[in-house]
Amino acid sequence: MGGELGSLVAAQLEAEPWVGALVGIDVDPPRRRLRKAEFHLLQPSQRERIVDVVTKFNPHVVINLSVWEPDARAGLNHARQFTADATTAVVGAAAECPALESMVVRSGIEVYGRARNTPTRPTERTPVDPTTEYGRMLANIERSAREVGTRVGLAVGKLRLAPVLGKHVPSPLGRLLRQPVVPFSALADAPFAVVQDHDAARAFVEAARLRLDEPVNVVAPGAITAVQAIVRGKRVPLPLFGPEWTIARQFSHLFGAPIPDHVVELMHRGRLADGSKARDVLGFAPQRTTPEVIDQLFAWPSVVRVGAIREVA
Amino acid sequence: MAQIVEFPRRVAGTAANVLAEPLRHWPAHSVDDFGRDPHLIAALSPLARLRWNVGVGGVHHLPVRGGALLVCNDRRWALSNIYAAWALSEATGRPVRFVGRPDFVPFGPFMRRIGGLLARPDEVLGALRNHELVLISCATSNHARHAGTVDHALVGAAVMAGSPIFPVATMSSSVSRTARAEVGPQVRPRRKRRGPLAEVELAEQVQHHVQRMLDGFGGMQTGVAPLDWLTAEG
Repeated sequence: MGGELGSLVAAQLEAEPWVGALVGIDVDPPRRRLRKAEFHLLQPSQRERIVDVVTKFNPHVVINLSVWEPDARAGLNHARQFTADATTAVVGAAAECPALESMVVRSGIEVYGRARNTPTRPTERTPVDPTTEYGRMLANIERSAREVGTRVGLAVGKLRLAPVLGKHVPSPLGRLLRQPVVPFSALADAPFAVVQDHDAARAFVEAARLRLDEPVNVVAPGAITAVQAIVRGKRVPLPLFGPEWTIARQFSHLFGAPIPDHVVELMHRGRLADGSKARDVLGFAPQRTTPEVIDQLFAWPSVVRVGAIREVA
Repeated sequence: MAQIVEFPRRVAGTAANVLAEPLRHWPAHSVDDFGRDPHLIAALSPLARLRWNVGVGGVHHLPVRGGALLVCNDRRWALSNIYAAWALSEATGRPVRFVGRPDFVPFGPFMRRIGGLLARPDEVLGALRNHELVLISCATSNHARHAGTVDHALVGAAVMAGSPIFPVATMSSSVSRTARAEVGPQVRPRRKRRGPLAEVELAEQVQHHVQRMLDGFGGMQTGVAPLDWLTAEG
């Protein structure tokens, strides 16, 4: 509930008539004014406290958004550790709640992997075969949730999000594209799709309302290639052919935009997914298309200057 | 002092603007959901017309909105699926995606940009479920007027999606620009099957339909007698 996506989901849930009480857990305080929700500031490693809070509340629906994308808010090792800890605590606690009917977990289209000859636009029926560390982290979350769902008899909805971009969402892809000089794969220039944070949040709310019990891709319509995105953002494209990616990644890291392996994979092999099921199952379609989200990414100001605060009384 | 601090920033900004100036004229269009780039295809069309002058027929058989599977014959090195897909796209005003792109650089990504899909049943099924026109090829043949076998797994995708199947006979010459792509009427299964026999029988039927259309074409005349004696068409 402290991250941008969590805060958005909480804010949208508060506006839903079917939501009675709301409890959230995160390592950061909420970024929005929440009127109804009760918030607990807890680390992913505080498993007993998390279990205590969740079981005491005894919810009907649990939404697990606690996914640390590598190089978004934490480096790979920390991201892996935090995600694993949070998944164990939240999913484990959910299994202890007698009133629980449904669990919705955050996953990503990275779970499909981009091995050679994998479908260009995987559907939810495509087997999960992650080829990056982030994809494996997400696949573990799905597996843990599925196992608990089978054991306890819960509906488990898995929302496989395209890379989420938003004004305040920490994203290694967004950071990379906003650099003045952006590397891209000259031989591939593969297409990818993204989703805006508001649309992703809406998908979670709908999944919780409908007690979703299957995986669903959440992808903005349309696609864009790296070069097209770079040119739209008026950045300087830097064509790379292969081995020099290692150097480019080091340089980019130095300039504050580390490039994790799933973003490198996106640049080389693309990342598309079929999002038509979301329309059929959730009755929801992302409002922003991929090119629109990319255009907004470049329109957001780097620094928002707030005027001096004056005391008036 | 502030001007001294601002100076390198202004220089860097000006340099970046000068470098980026040519890029402002680059097309920044987006690709579609499957990675097909209509603007790239439009840019390459004059080149394609230098090689092929494709006459298209039978387009009225194709559905105006829904998805459909098209099956064409393929002579070795003729690239019939590519020119047929482009010509049919132009004739119908809808993107026609051809199946059979490789998945290695640089050919795979390039062919994806010009409308290629992988030869996988799930890839074809995904496109058909999204109401796309998908063109697959019969097995490659050395003879111009011979339709090879049709992959029943790919036909199975159309059966699963409930999409109609249309035969497309293609003919081109290796010495002239003349080419033709003729769409036949929808192939309907002779009997209802509940199991995998449906796609196997349908694949055989489509192959027969394409063969019959090719037989109806007759040979292509180049106008140069010695060349016509050879089997130059394909």
